[in-house]
Amino acid sequence: MRSRFNLYITEYAINSLLRQRYKTLFIFFILSALVFLLSSLFFITNSIKHELNSTVDSLPEITIQKIKAGRQDEIGVEVVDEILQMSGVQSAVARVWGYYYFENAGVNFTLVGIDEYEEQYKESLNSISQKLDFESSVMMLGEGVKRVMKKSYYKEYFNFIKPEGTMKRVYIGASFEGDTELESNDVIVMSKKNIREIFGIDETKATDIVAKVANPNEIATIASKIKLLYPDARVITKDDLKISYQNIFDYKSGVFLALFIVSLFTFFIIIYDKASGLSSEEKREIGILKALGWRIDDVLKERFYEGFIVSFFSYITGIILALFFVYILKAPLMQNIFIGYSQLKTSFTLPFVLDWQSMALIFFLSVPVYIAATIVPAYRSATLEVDEVIR
Amino acid sequence: MNRKSRLFIYSFFVLSAILSVEIWYLFWAKSMDEEALRSKREFVKTVQLPDLSISTEASYIRHRSLSDFFSAYRDDGTLREYFVSTYTYRSAPYLGDKQ
Repeated sequence: MRSRFNLYITEYAINSLLRQRYKTLFIFFILSALVFLLSSLFFITNSIKHELNSTVDSLPEITIQKIKAGRQDEIGVEVVDEILQMSGVQSAVARVWGYYYFENAGVNFTLVGIDEYEEQYKESLNSISQKLDFESSVMMLGEGVKRVMKKSYYKEYFNFIKPEGTMKRVYIGASFEGDTELESNDVIVMSKKNIREIFGIDETKATDIVAKVANPNEIATIASKIKLLYPDARVITKDDLKISYQNIFDYKSGVFLALFIVSLFTFFIIIYDKASGLSSEEKREIGILKALGWRIDDVLKERFYEGFIVSFFSYITGIILALFFVYILKAPLMQNIFIGYSQLKTSFTLPFVLDWQSMALIFFLSVPVYIAATIVPAYRSATLEVDEVIR
Repeated sequence: MNRKSRLFIYSFFVLSAILSVEIWYLFWAKSMDEEALRSKREFVKTVQLPDLSISTEASYIRHRSLSDFFSAYRDDGTLREYFVSTYTYRSAPYLGDKQ
């Protein structure tokens, strides 16, 4: 059998497709739309994952939270000293942070406290903020928070309502660089003293504790030691967080993959059904080709080219549209699946990552399956006797 | 080869060219550069919060450290709380195993 690429058969296949242009166009549009939908979803997921994974290494290895009555509770700061005494622990810090619900706009701000006197914080904040002017009653805002406050006419300061009902005025300082928007959009950074005042957290208490471990092989051991020491604590390692990320994205894109597979198979069943009951005209065409001297493998080759051309064109078009939709148009509508129902949305500028794996997955889900759906019925007609087919 | 097939073949090359140009452009304009990556890492290191602020109304989504292993299914951002169904869940079989 000659397996050489046959230009004449290709030309025949192209002309055959153009003869049935409405059917071809219909299949092209549907298949492109399916490829477009799934690949946009994968591109979004992949970019978010990339974003998370590129920053996950900067996080502390272990987070310790106190659980009381099934909920997270304040943890005593003295725990820090005990954790620091464990061998292998590089550093441990009591974090003070929480959510502040701003009723006027219906959004939650994330308030994060830092030690105002520590030099390293000043340095790192200097490099990620546009302008640093850090005093005790000044806060640094994410872009989203700044926008929301401005809308509510808080341009110079913001009045936080403390648990006992009085106000705490904090002045608006610098804002974070646009580069960090996906991370910093809803964040307000200020001194721990202010945060304690706003949330009514005692000096001896903290939200949770984060610990750094120098040797990655020791993380699990140290985590279990902490767990033994504090049975009421929830100890979360960096790996747990990674698994958790993976779960949520697998879940979200899995739902869509399931929907996609259902629609894809429905589509192929329609195609197969239409093609297996080849119209008498198409059957006659195959018969005539055979009578002219075409062999079965020529007929199949021609059908293969037809299927390949349509599905490959749809595939490329779908990918082009998906890239444009996700990275240039910033995925309108579809981004809501990922960003939830928040009022404080980010501008959703995802970093571009060329997702070869997903592209290959979509290719193998669409192109070969479509080709199979066109070849199989043609094979059945092509193996019949010529006179039987023509008649 | 007739004109239509030639056009068809050309359109294939045009599509491939558009795809390559698009990928090149996105690579050049939209991918994360070193500077952005540095400031992102610096930010995460400073505030020590794990997640992206892509959903703020559901605390367990914004900060995964607040959630447990089931919350990907229970507390998804697109899932509204409805009693009974979201209230009860069965824990994974490996939890509570005798070690």
